[in-house]
Amino acid sequence: MPLLTIATFLPILAGLALMALPDRSTKKAHTVSIAATGAVFLITLGIWARGIVAGDFAQVEEIAWIPAIGAAYRLGVDGLSLPLVLLTSLLFLLSALYSARIGERAASYVVLMLMLETASLGTFMALDGLLFYVFFEVSLVGMYFMIAGWGYEERQRAALMFFLYTLVGSLPLLLAIIGLYLGSGTFDMRVWVEGTTLGGLPAMLALIAMLVTFAVKIPAFPVHTWLPAAHVQAPTAGSVILAGVMLKFGTYGLMRFAYQMTPEAFAQAGQVILAFGVVSALYGAFAALAQSDLKKMIAYTSVNHMGYVVMGVAIAALATEPRIRTIALDGATLQMVSHGLVTGALFFLVGMLQDRAHTRGIGDFGGLLGRVPWLGWAFILSAFASLGLPGLAHFPAEFQIFLATLNGMPWGLIAILAIVVTAALYLRAIAGVFLGEMNDKWADMPDLDRREKLVVLPLLVLTVLIGVAPGWLIDMIHTTMTGLGN
Amino acid sequence: MEMGRDLALLAPELTLAAAAMLMIVAEMFRAARLVLAIGLAGLAAATLLTLPMLSVDATVFGGTYRIDLISGWAKLILLPGTALSLLLVRAEITGRPREGSVQSLVVLVTLGALMLSGAGDMMVVVIGVVLTGLGSFALVAWPRDDAATEAAMKYLVFGAVTGSVMIYGLTFWFGGTGSTLFSELGQLQGQTLVTIAGLIAIIVGLGYKGSLVPFHFWAPDAYQGAPVSIAAYLSVITKAAAFFAFAQVLRDLPRDGGWPLALAVIAAATMTYGYLAALVQTNLVRLIAYSSVAQSGYFLMGVVALGASGFAVPGILVFAAAYVAMNLGAFAVVLLAGRDLGDLEGFGRTRPWLGAAMVVFLLSLTGIPPLFGFVGKFYLLSAAVEAGYLWLAIIGVLNSVLALGVYLRLMVPMYRTSSTEHPSEVGAVLTQGTVVVTVLATLLIGLAAGILPGP
Repeated sequence: MPLLTIATFLPILAGLALMALPDRSTKKAHTVSIAATGAVFLITLGIWARGIVAGDFAQVEEIAWIPAIGAAYRLGVDGLSLPLVLLTSLLFLLSALYSARIGERAASYVVLMLMLETASLGTFMALDGLLFYVFFEVSLVGMYFMIAGWGYEERQRAALMFFLYTLVGSLPLLLAIIGLYLGSGTFDMRVWVEGTTLGGLPAMLALIAMLVTFAVKIPAFPVHTWLPAAHVQAPTAGSVILAGVMLKFGTYGLMRFAYQMTPEAFAQAGQVILAFGVVSALYGAFAALAQSDLKKMIAYTSVNHMGYVVMGVAIAALATEPRIRTIALDGATLQMVSHGLVTGALFFLVGMLQDRAHTRGIGDFGGLLGRVPWLGWAFILSAFASLGLPGLAHFPAEFQIFLATLNGMPWGLIAILAIVVTAALYLRAIAGVFLGEMNDKWADMPDLDRREKLVVLPLLVLTVLIGVAPGWLIDMIHTTMTGLGN
Repeated sequence: MEMGRDLALLAPELTLAAAAMLMIVAEMFRAARLVLAIGLAGLAAATLLTLPMLSVDATVFGGTYRIDLISGWAKLILLPGTALSLLLVRAEITGRPREGSVQSLVVLVTLGALMLSGAGDMMVVVIGVVLTGLGSFALVAWPRDDAATEAAMKYLVFGAVTGSVMIYGLTFWFGGTGSTLFSELGQLQGQTLVTIAGLIAIIVGLGYKGSLVPFHFWAPDAYQGAPVSIAAYLSVITKAAAFFAFAQVLRDLPRDGGWPLALAVIAAATMTYGYLAALVQTNLVRLIAYSSVAQSGYFLMGVVALGASGFAVPGILVFAAAYVAMNLGAFAVVLLAGRDLGDLEGFGRTRPWLGAAMVVFLLSLTGIPPLFGFVGKFYLLSAAVEAGYLWLAIIGVLNSVLALGVYLRLMVPMYRTSSTEHPSEVGAVLTQGTVVVTVLATLLIGLAAGILPGP
């Protein structure tokens, strides 16, 4: 059974079916949404059960598309993409559950969400350059309409900024793809990832083009400015998908395209890329420290966490020892998954807080822990995970990245300073919102209801599980990364 | 024997010519419905007759007219495009005086467009330019009000001047090669001055048809003065034909004459100027007119790469097909929504399906995958890169961003809440039918790009 194809297109087909229904009531729309994303989640578990192979892509599905130019419909997974596929299907399922309270034009909202899921899964699983670009851009359009249609007050401007920024960002990738195609005569990414398609100046130009695209998407300093605006205005589920899934397009592209397809140029530019990673990590942490809006704060910590991923990939390119490379790549990939789980949980929780209070300012709250213990403890646990506490999801990832940095480019370790800053800002946020004097305004704030617990709990459980026993996930990642390290 | 073979190869063109004549006869009896029926039947028959001839590569009448990949696909693109235009014309001016004349002129202009697309000889290009030109002037002038008359006048003067320049310049090529056949242009190798003189002639004559900067001035006025359906028709059919003619002429010209660079500069100027001008328009028809000018710049990228990239000819053909579908569709929505930018206010909310279709057209015009417009642009960009014009491809890519700015100016107000009424109008069924056909083409042909010509 072509599970990859089914998983990719089931959401959009469900969306089209919903549009064709004569009765598109709110309830029906959300039922379709939860059923479809739930089914996709189960299918991706099936893909996981089938497993991956070392040194190649597994479960490849291929059909001719435009034979004249060597473009084909090609999907497949490996240890880099499969964890992200699982993360994607989980986050979309939880987002569907969370969004079930949305009443405003619910059918259109659901259709957009399902379209985004198709685009996201396709982006991670595509093994054809042209197909990848198609999914990559469709996700952009979907997110634009999501922010513009269901965001908060300033949504039009934020959506426009997001669209222009990321479209400008993604167009250089198109040129790089054309270059890779003209160099190889095919769009087959399995040929491209051998890393011998381009060399010399063309490879460097292609690398620069790809770095521009993925830096915007990651987002890395100094092209991160769209992120806070988009996050603040996006609806909660939009933020979760944006941070949890779509930022990974950038880091995934960095590894799959930039690192794998132009390895020599990447190694030459390694120091510069590392520097961008370090600066992003530090800048994101300090910028987050300066925020009083919870959502904006979490958005900036994404810049910080993604900076570590960039560092990891750069270290892998610079390192001479295969062992160090593998550790760096393992850490970078795990960091993507951890960030998706932890930041996803944080955005859900802030969204739930905002649903209750209609504000997100740290200064507006106080002493909520006694009033809403579920929400409070869930937030505290996620915040601790986000700042890199041992025993929680980010620790094994960041530990490996820093270990590799220490062995490869010790100067990069100044990024550790960012961990201190993140710790400070999270403690400040926890103290401001959940501890201290209780603000009477919130005296009758209800705690999480069953549906909300159902949304948050899986993320918390996985956060702890990956922190305590990351082996099951790292083994899968490692299968592929040992091959890339050599 | 020879004559018989030639006529058989010309069956689609002859069918269309016969249909046009019959349409005029029917118009004499003021039977507008019959005119339309003959036109549609003629177009359908000509399209079907083209299908078995797609793989033919031949010339007729001593090499003056080519039956090849370009002219074959040109027919498959232009004939259905014309049929859709006839439906739009019917929807817009049904029951008005001389409706049948408009329909017959449209088909005659398309016949001229086919001449251009298959031209193998300078004289055929001239006939094509004149045939498309004369019909178009009359079509623009049809409403008989001041705006239309002024627009048609400008169009006519512009056409007359550029046409004369073209004929004058072409005499240099005739002098240089001793033949009016394009296939002899290879002999110009080394005769730089003569090459340039003829080239300027072609750029002026066809550049005017294709509304390239700086020969585009007539376009916004003509589109605005003419009925919307005629603007839609002129913006796709005669323009696409101009680029098919470019492809026919320049593919035989030695590339060392420097013309690729000259055209590359014009291409860059055209797309940039077109989108910049579109950014400040408030009249929807003018806005789309300027955006069509910009799209001409993309067409020209393919022309620049002729002879240097296998993507050049397929790029022009695929982009033309996409462009006909998406631009006709966008104009059809304008026909339903109204001519002013303000008329789109809230359109997407009161008419969700038409609004969604408009979004598809606009995203496709921007070049967002997997829509049809993206496939065309992708081929054209690849052609430019492969021909060594990376800078032109980069400008093309950057202009996609400007394009997004232009088209978002239409999309954003469509989803604002507003009190503007969007009632269904007379003839709406035909227009909506056109929207359905074009939106399906824009959505699906991009996914099935394997059926299109490739390198």
